[in-house]
Amino acid sequence: MVRIQIDEHQIEVPPGITIREAAELVGVEIPTLCYAPGVHPPTSCLVCLVKLVDTGRLVPSCATRVEDGMRIESETPEVHAARRTALELLLSDHWGDCLAPCFFGCPAQMDIPTMLRQIAQGQVRDALITVKKDIVLPAILGRVCPRPCEKVCRRAQADGAVAICGLKRFVADLDLASPQPYLPDCALSTGKRAAIVGAGPTGLSAAWFLRQMGHAVTLFDKNERPGGRLWTETTPEQLPREILEKELGLVFRLGVELHLGVSVGQDIPLERLAREFDAVLLAWGAQEPTLLERLGLKVSGRALEVDRQTYQTNRPGLFAAGNAIRAKGMVIRSVADGKGVALCMDQFLRTGRVQGLPGHYSVRLGKLTAEELAQWTAQASPAVRSDWSEAGLLGMDQLEKAQEQARRCLQCDCSDVHTCKLRRYADQYGADPNRFRTDRPPWSPPERDGPWVYEPGKCLRCGLCIEVATAAGAPMGLAFYGRGFDVRIAPPFDRPLSEALGRAAQACVSACPTAALRLDEEKADLALPVLSQGTKRE
Amino acid sequence: MAEIDLRFVDELVERIGRSADAVIPILQALQEHYHYLPREALERVCQVTEITPSAIVGVSTFYGQFRHQPVGKHLITICHGTACHVKGAAYIQEALERHLHIPPGQDTDPRGLFTVQKVACLGCCTLAPVIQIDGLTYGRLTPHKVPEVLQDFLHQARQDGQQRMAGAPPGASVKTQVRPLQAEIRIGLGSCCQAQGSARVHQRLVEAIQTGGVPAKVKRVGCVGMCHQTPLVEIVPPDGPPKLFARMTPETAEELLWEHVSPPSLLGRAKRLVVRVVDRLLQPNGDRRVEQQPLDVQDGPVCAFLGPQKRIATVDSGQIDPLDLDEYLQHGGFEALRRCVHQHSPEELIEEVKRSGLRGRGGAGFPTGLKWQRVRAAPGPKKYLICNGDEGDPGAFMDRMLLESFPYRIIEGMAIAAYAVGAEEGFFYIRAEYPLAVRRIREALDQCYRRGFLGENIFGAGFRLHLSVREGAGAFVCGEETALLNSIEGRRGMPRLRPPYPAEKGLWGRPTLVNNVETYAVVPWIIRHGADAFAALGTPTSKGTKVFALAGKVQRGGLIEVPMGCTIRQIVEEIGGGVAPGRRFKAVQIGGPSGGCIPASLADTPIDFEALNQLGAIMGSGGLVVLDDRDCMVDIARYFLRFTQDQSCGKCTFCRIGTRRMLEILDRITAGQGRPEDLERLEQLARSVQAGSLCGLGKTAPNPVLTTLRYFRDEYEAHLAGRCPAGKCSALIHYRITEKCLGCTLCAQHCPVGAIPIVPYVRPRIDQQKCTRCDTCRQVCPNGAIVVE
Repeated sequence: MVRIQIDEHQIEVPPGITIREAAELVGVEIPTLCYAPGVHPPTSCLVCLVKLVDTGRLVPSCATRVEDGMRIESETPEVHAARRTALELLLSDHWGDCLAPCFFGCPAQMDIPTMLRQIAQGQVRDALITVKKDIVLPAILGRVCPRPCEKVCRRAQADGAVAICGLKRFVADLDLASPQPYLPDCALSTGKRAAIVGAGPTGLSAAWFLRQMGHAVTLFDKNERPGGRLWTETTPEQLPREILEKELGLVFRLGVELHLGVSVGQDIPLERLAREFDAVLLAWGAQEPTLLERLGLKVSGRALEVDRQTYQTNRPGLFAAGNAIRAKGMVIRSVADGKGVALCMDQFLRTGRVQGLPGHYSVRLGKLTAEELAQWTAQASPAVRSDWSEAGLLGMDQLEKAQEQARRCLQCDCSDVHTCKLRRYADQYGADPNRFRTDRPPWSPPERDGPWVYEPGKCLRCGLCIEVATAAGAPMGLAFYGRGFDVRIAPPFDRPLSEALGRAAQACVSACPTAALRLDEEKADLALPVLSQGTKRE
Repeated sequence: MAEIDLRFVDELVERIGRSADAVIPILQALQEHYHYLPREALERVCQVTEITPSAIVGVSTFYGQFRHQPVGKHLITICHGTACHVKGAAYIQEALERHLHIPPGQDTDPRGLFTVQKVACLGCCTLAPVIQIDGLTYGRLTPHKVPEVLQDFLHQARQDGQQRMAGAPPGASVKTQVRPLQAEIRIGLGSCCQAQGSARVHQRLVEAIQTGGVPAKVKRVGCVGMCHQTPLVEIVPPDGPPKLFARMTPETAEELLWEHVSPPSLLGRAKRLVVRVVDRLLQPNGDRRVEQQPLDVQDGPVCAFLGPQKRIATVDSGQIDPLDLDEYLQHGGFEALRRCVHQHSPEELIEEVKRSGLRGRGGAGFPTGLKWQRVRAAPGPKKYLICNGDEGDPGAFMDRMLLESFPYRIIEGMAIAAYAVGAEEGFFYIRAEYPLAVRRIREALDQCYRRGFLGENIFGAGFRLHLSVREGAGAFVCGEETALLNSIEGRRGMPRLRPPYPAEKGLWGRPTLVNNVETYAVVPWIIRHGADAFAALGTPTSKGTKVFALAGKVQRGGLIEVPMGCTIRQIVEEIGGGVAPGRRFKAVQIGGPSGGCIPASLADTPIDFEALNQLGAIMGSGGLVVLDDRDCMVDIARYFLRFTQDQSCGKCTFCRIGTRRMLEILDRITAGQGRPEDLERLEQLARSVQAGSLCGLGKTAPNPVLTTLRYFRDEYEAHLAGRCPAGKCSALIHYRITEKCLGCTLCAQHCPVGAIPIVPYVRPRIDQQKCTRCDTCRQVCPNGAIVVE
């Protein structure tokens, strides 16, 4: 055994193991990208750097072996800064979108690409569930939304955006017309009570999510029916009233107490709500600043002032969202606020503290040239855009058309968004993807061969797949082409991936730290079965 | 395209071998045969050898030497080494591409006659700027000489074709042994000398001696070091002092011959007289007899050039025939090895080398004795040794010169080292850009095997050693010892993580000694003269001498060897004769892409590993490029970074991406688009690359940037403000014709883009829109009337 020190841990470890392995033994997790167990480490990513105290040198911990008396620094600002720089350099040459442009275009940050894939597969109920994770009133929004998501759709630059809004409406209409529309499960009761003032899009959205989180919700509205501005700011032609009423009704099926014709501030003092409820949300739209000031609330401009990260007003436990805090916003903005504030109130109700909304770490590919875009659209359905804006209630007879439209999606989002190691560590280390970014080099779309997909823009050139392919006995394996900055990885002699990798393909995909090499889930059945053993070990 | 005949592949594999490490020699032979690497041939290799498709693709695309597309009939390589860069290689490239009508983004002219290719450094730095066409080297070029050079080449190519039919390769020693020798005529036939035409001088002398029956011996010798005077001819009469003549042409050399060596027979003399008279009659104005004054060793410049030098690695330079083993023996050759194997134990030897204070001459300066000891102590029955001759630094040509001029000395040094560490097999790893060095080492090895200095039971002492040559394939990073090991093993030249060091786990996992050419070259001297004699030279931590390739804006460039501790100023001003009159000595670039720029104000710094490190530079392998006030330091920093960027193996993040991002910032600054925050960002990134990179190439790549930022920050700031003080960065300058113009129209005639109207006796205006800043007009103006602003 040899004695070493990693940060404050003094340990005895077997000789010959690597620093990374030693760190694992004491619970220090060192990030790695180009490492896979049992495979010769390429030591290329250098995200696993640690500092040797005695020489002052930074070394890759995945391959540097422990020596007796070694003193190692891992969790120090200096080492973290070096790892962060390595990540930022890699990010500066990592060309893809973690999350699709439409995700960021949608105020509610709905998972549009997943919805489209589900529709394309004919899984309309799954698609509806995807929608309802973020948007409570999709049938309504499918008719009134100004569609900011479609404005940023990549395909809008080519032959017209995918009809996201119409497709959302399609799944929502089907659900609404079904005998048992979808209702999410609610968590066990937390025993906490929330009051929501205003049953417009913001309040209803907040109620929908707070209920799912297990909190009791009481809604107050000064009007005689819920829905707020949805009644006054839309026409029956645009939004048929039976659809409006039906979809609003779904919210109450989750068990929300509703008090109509009650004006908070006049009929019930705000103080009373604050006393009787564990948290209060003001979702009452625009109000006279004088009224707000009389209630002791801070006002900026004509709206309530809140902490933009947490929706908190200057009074603890009192939240505000929707048009109460901003100049007249889109309905989707209000619905998005309702979801956001529900998350913050949940934090408050559970812990007494509000951390605010989680960020969405994403690298962005940015704008493509017309030629690049043309190459990419050639991979998706050539169908034209059609968005059902004139149609009435949509039924299953539209399914084929909807599928065809959904297949127009380029799938800008990254399939590995939740498993990508680069993204995970970049987020963890606070790496700024734009710190070293420069002009984008020419980009080419994913290359497909059967179920296997290679996305050159996302490849880190770490070479792990080459090692894995060799270790797993691939028929030809993969090769580096060229050297230096412009090095790339591909099968030798331009052979197809499936021929070059054979049964080793899955092992390479599993080892790839990003989505550069991946399995197209939709075609997974085409993949050769994985060898039962020895695929990843030499 | 014609079908590829693959039978050659099978024959080749038979000859070279089927193992994985044969890949580079196989690729080299394939390229020699097909002039590029046809894919069918590569696939065939994979079928008939152990080489995998992944390996052959990875290796053949890693090394710069290999081409995957057919090339033009002739290959022009343009040297972009440091000296060539500061002397305008970019202008030459531009002129070539323009003259050959090569379309943008391509490298071959439409007729398929010439392919133009950049090369990192040809190692002919004193002749900068240099190009090579199919192995013929042209030096001291200017853009307007380009058409002339191409014509000359085509003319030569035709003549060569005829000559080759007649046999007798140029450059072999020819001796007339009929009569007792009257004189010895020595001519330097190193690569630089040959580039300046010494082979032609040599041939003319040989012919003249044979036809004239002159009892003289023409002897080729290695590099004399005075590259600024080449071709050099030295006449050594049997009595009297030798006389050295500079800058010879075939004509002037023949004149010399007749003046100094008289033919013995009346007939011969008469024959010569007739020829001369006829010559004169035919060429009434053609008396080519130029002033033939010998260079006097007592004479100022020569004395100064040789004065502070001390020759150990280059002892006997310019005196012995590189391949004449007997001559080497007469000068005490292999005496040291004999003494070692008979009288000393390996341990004693290692002690001796340690005591001499010798440190590795390849760059980092690791104590040689200690390295030997580690290899000796490493367990295992099989050990290797390697001579690292992959001298890739642009601006350095010491190793090439040593390999070309003193092959036996290096072999002896290696043999001594092999005996000391217990290795029985070794390799010379020499870059392919040094064909003459490769040829001479191969010939020298043959000689040594034949005479028993290599092989089994050397000196009857039971000591055996086998050495062979492996050629590099155009990758600077292979100078890094672990990348070099990968290259010999037939892999991509990517550095390995150290530890384990090669001393413990090197070639094929065996303990391996890797030393630089110069390190081996001084070993025999140390053994013969003793460690104390070596240690008596130099500074407390840096002993002995160091060979430098002195080039750039210096009057007398060349190959020099000075004792450690000698100052930079002595080298530049005494040996090199300073910069051209009217110019100001600004800085020296030392250590190539890993080194730094030392300003003239610090020129009194001694040559010493530690002293140079303190300035942010390194000793490096010994390239020393002098810069004057016309050199832009930002441009120099960018030049080196572009080089390392180009040569980065692409393995680790910091080097692969970090150097590219640094280069982008420098590109921006030199293009006049720098941003105020760029300098700080550049410096931060440079520190990160320095700390985080895996190997020496990456760790030292920021040095040129960091030293210029440290000593010449004002120049960076000037660029941010839109000015290039040295008048170098083309985006920030323009050319103007001043009142000194005589209206001769020479500039207009030479302007390649028609930016100057041809109007006699009128001072023309340069069309700034058309002007490409190619510098031709300024160079041709006889009156210095064109200025850069």
